[in-house]
Amino acid sequence: MNILICIKQVPDMESKFKINAEKNWYDRTDLAWRMNEYDEYAVEQAVRLKEQVGDADLTVLCIGGDQVKETMKKALAMGCDRGVHIADNDAYKREPIEIASMIAGFAKDKNFDIIFTGMQSQDRGSAQVGVMLAELLAIAAVTTIVSFAFDNGTISVKRELEGGTKALVSATMPVVLTCQLGLNTPRYPTLPNIMKAKKKELLTIAPDVGSSAISQETAAFYFPEKKSGGLVLEGELPDLAEKLIHLLKEKTGVLA
Amino acid sequence: MNFELTEEQNLIRDMVRSFAEAEVAPSARERDEEERFDRALMYDRLAELGLTGIVFPEEYGGAGADYISYAIAVEELSRVCGSTGVTLSAHLSLCANPIYMFGTEAQKQKFLVPLAKGEKMGAFGLTEPSAGSDAGGTKTTATKDGNDWIINGSKIFITNAGEAEIYVVLARSDKSAEKHRGISAYIIEKGTPGFSFGKKEAKMGIRSSPTMELVFDNCRIPGENLLGQEGQGFKVAMKTLDGGRIGIASQALGIAQGALDAAIAYTKDREQFNKPVASFQGVQFQLADMATQVEAARLLIYNAAYRASAGLSYSQESAMAKLFASETAMRVTTQAVQLHGGYGYTREFPVERMMRDAKITEIYEGTSEIQRVVIGAALTK
Repeated sequence: MNILICIKQVPDMESKFKINAEKNWYDRTDLAWRMNEYDEYAVEQAVRLKEQVGDADLTVLCIGGDQVKETMKKALAMGCDRGVHIADNDAYKREPIEIASMIAGFAKDKNFDIIFTGMQSQDRGSAQVGVMLAELLAIAAVTTIVSFAFDNGTISVKRELEGGTKALVSATMPVVLTCQLGLNTPRYPTLPNIMKAKKKELLTIAPDVGSSAISQETAAFYFPEKKSGGLVLEGELPDLAEKLIHLLKEKTGVLA
Repeated sequence: MNFELTEEQNLIRDMVRSFAEAEVAPSARERDEEERFDRALMYDRLAELGLTGIVFPEEYGGAGADYISYAIAVEELSRVCGSTGVTLSAHLSLCANPIYMFGTEAQKQKFLVPLAKGEKMGAFGLTEPSAGSDAGGTKTTATKDGNDWIINGSKIFITNAGEAEIYVVLARSDKSAEKHRGISAYIIEKGTPGFSFGKKEAKMGIRSSPTMELVFDNCRIPGENLLGQEGQGFKVAMKTLDGGRIGIASQALGIAQGALDAAIAYTKDREQFNKPVASFQGVQFQLADMATQVEAARLLIYNAAYRASAGLSYSQESAMAKLFASETAMRVTTQAVQLHGGYGYTREFPVERMMRDAKITEIYEGTSEIQRVVIGAALTK
């Protein structure tokens, strides 16, 4: 089996975010970086599938500057066999169709049986790259999977839907699967595997955005306004009731 | 010169930190209160993650990583639990490492490989009731009988004792030789007839790490368990402690970092006089001093660790790192308790445990005074 896992490097979500000078994204300096949480589920599921079937080759793909290689090494230490790094310092400002096109450009003639990726990134959160990639490759996509089984060439997954419902979906290969929280618990990369990861192939290739037309741009990027603190009324009980009724009449539509 | 960690070192830090926070931290308080060593968590899990043989080559069951990676691992474990940190340090630096440095190929295959893989756990027996800082005062005896050695005597304050399967033990093999030259090192396995464990110490800190007495009563071991040359034991012990100091310095650093992190979080959250206490400059100055000392300790440790991996001498550097890191740990944890006020003195918050755990780092594997002796002697020789 030939498996592709698409991952993204995102800031640690406990970082203190600042808005960049262009006011269209967060400032990327002085942040700690890690693998997008949903992509960790994707890597883990691919490694488990390889452990199940034995004969599988896992390629992990990541787009970004040189710094994403560290996150790719983690995927290699978790069990991926090789890495493809699409070198692009501008990746962070690209819209989903550009990212999907770059991946499709690499994947189109590689005959991947399954492409695992996260259902969305923790920073941009568009949840579009996986489905766009499937569309560009003209293959099926099953999104937000929370369970995965592979038996004799058939894939059975559970999708998480709104309102606590789930759907059981079976799919044939090739297919794109986007992974949701709850699918699995990603393993820690062991120390010997971290050391071995540096000996695995990690190929850097140039970006090819293709002819995808840019159709959107971020107009503004801001923190929500801080809500002003609540109002605390003080005084004797009858007074308080008066004040409250007055306020509700003056400031709200609760009392006419 | 480059102060950046490598990708591998960063990944190792991330991995050990995630593991420590998710699995080790939750039970740290309870294990401390119950004086309970949890082998499945504090050793077997470390083995699964490949931490028990970090610095040894792959052919001996290790991971082939460097001493900075080892220092990072001990630091990150100790950041949430000083007992787990010392378990790894005592096993790796004090037992596996002397076998790696001085063992024959047969000894390495028989003892180092299972130690590095974490199938077996190690400990080190040097201290005696009358021989602590003065290792030359060793009274435990080793008497030759045919091809065997007969060990008699006792060792106290032994970390990992009772749990460990393999012990490196120092004993006097030649009563007529001058005191440093008459000592030899031996590998003794748990279960050997005549080898038993005495009382378990009730301690102030690192309470979930077992500390016990080793008792040898006509304990017969085969001649091939002599580690290094006969009469070379003092050298084995001193070289072992050179490496051990990196482990304990890292443990101290981790405890200090954990207390600093707790103090920052608490002072930002705690409000007095209608604002977070962290907004007061007096508090910020204290945090600044704590953080500066922690960072200085880290750089001293990385320097000693770098030298150890590069094959350079590092005895003086590891003594400086251990001296500074352990005294930093004591200062920073004490200050962290102070910054927590009354809450810091309760067991609801981890800083009182960290303060108790910190104290031992100024004492074991060479007291602060002995570190000053080592550094001073090197400066003036």
